[in-house]
Amino acid sequence: MSDSEARPVALRVANKTAYVWDVDDIATLRSKHRICGVLTGTLPHLSQQNVFLGVPLVLMPEEAVLLVETGAAVLVDDPKAYLEPTIPQLQKWSAEQQESIRTQLAYTETKLAKESASPGRALSEEALRKRKEREERKKAQAALAAKAAGDEGLDVFAQEASSSSSPAPTPNEAERTSTPSVSLPSDPRPSTPSISTDPSKSSSSLPPYTIVIPASATSHEWYSPESCTYTTIEAAREAGVWDYPSTLFERARCGVFKDLWKQGYFMGGGIKFGGEYLVYPGDPLRYHSHFAATVIESPIASLRPMEIVAHGRLGTATKKAHLLCGWDDEKKEVSYLSIEWAGFG
Amino acid sequence: MELHPSFPVLSPFISKYPRSSASLFQTYNDIVYAQQWQDVEVLDLESCSRGAIKGKKRDTEEMLYVVPCSLSETLSFGWLQGAFAQIFRTRSNGEEFLAAEQDSTAGANPPFIYLAITTQDASIVYYKLSQGIVKPPV
Repeated sequence: MSDSEARPVALRVANKTAYVWDVDDIATLRSKHRICGVLTGTLPHLSQQNVFLGVPLVLMPEEAVLLVETGAAVLVDDPKAYLEPTIPQLQKWSAEQQESIRTQLAYTETKLAKESASPGRALSEEALRKRKEREERKKAQAALAAKAAGDEGLDVFAQEASSSSSPAPTPNEAERTSTPSVSLPSDPRPSTPSISTDPSKSSSSLPPYTIVIPASATSHEWYSPESCTYTTIEAAREAGVWDYPSTLFERARCGVFKDLWKQGYFMGGGIKFGGEYLVYPGDPLRYHSHFAATVIESPIASLRPMEIVAHGRLGTATKKAHLLCGWDDEKKEVSYLSIEWAGFG
Repeated sequence: MELHPSFPVLSPFISKYPRSSASLFQTYNDIVYAQQWQDVEVLDLESCSRGAIKGKKRDTEEMLYVVPCSLSETLSFGWLQGAFAQIFRTRSNGEEFLAAEQDSTAGANPPFIYLAITTQDASIVYYKLSQGIVKPPV
């Protein structure tokens, strides 16, 4: 843990939650510090998929506290790390953006020139024309069929459906093929401004390009975390960045987490088994958990026999023992009781 | 209750700890007559204000300890640890020192007790509580 040359991992705090955004840091936390966290990032366009999640890694608060206390990580108040960029910095950034656009445009132009020179183009236009004819025929047939059915309401629907499903040809192609059937001007929808609205200024001026946004904002020159980095929980608490643990129960959770971690266990969230943690004998990717753990904040906190029954029976059914982790806030000690079904009675 | 064959054994504990008498009576009868443990005795578990039961399962040598409680009681982590402390201290005092014997039968097992949880409809369930982090059987 006390790898002197290794820099501490930056835990970026937003809204009193610690995130890790760097993939290498995530690997370090897991392999060197036995802290797993939970990946929560989805793809921007597939935010519903939850099978393969990516950065950021969200840490349980007790994980973050442990990492900071052992010196393996520091807390960074990330929203404050973005200073106002200076004019030269902005100018430089802008110049880089422009440079990127120019490079892209140059590339697109050479590519277009190559493509128009090749003979494959004519064939594809021919194919397009044929497809259009086929669609027209289909539309007419659908209209006829609907009329034959005698339902006029449906007729309208059918017309609309078929017309909307046929893909409108892009203006450029329309120009070149000059098919008279295309009726773009009569379209009642407001057209979005695009290249077609101004045919005189044709493709050479504004082909599409990508605006590059760096995956990590820390590469910006005006990102400066030095002034808002905290190496202790107390310092972060004073700055109003972090407030865990602030209650007896939170202290108990931190104490229990640290004690189990010191014994070499890996901890994950225990919600699936009705506890605070699942306790693994090694990396959760390689081992099943042996225990579900509940944290009991003090020796006199009430414990109902029904809880023992519920935890014990669930653990036995899932080949886990249930751990009662009793925290003594005066001695700062943890003691454990393992629950199993007795097997008789 | 006074006519029950268990009563003479239990009566000192019933009068000393009336609040836990029901669960002790029920647990004792279950252990002796349903589970048919042998060498069953009742010991005074002052830290939990009740009588506890010790005995051996049929044809085994390991001394086991049962602490009765009612489902409607409220316990605490300290209460359970008090039970451990008292049971295993009395044992190591020499009065009932079976450590070597226990090692041979059950390996170097950490101390454990059975918590007998009783309800008013006479159903009973036992849970094994072991001190420390004890891996579940595979």
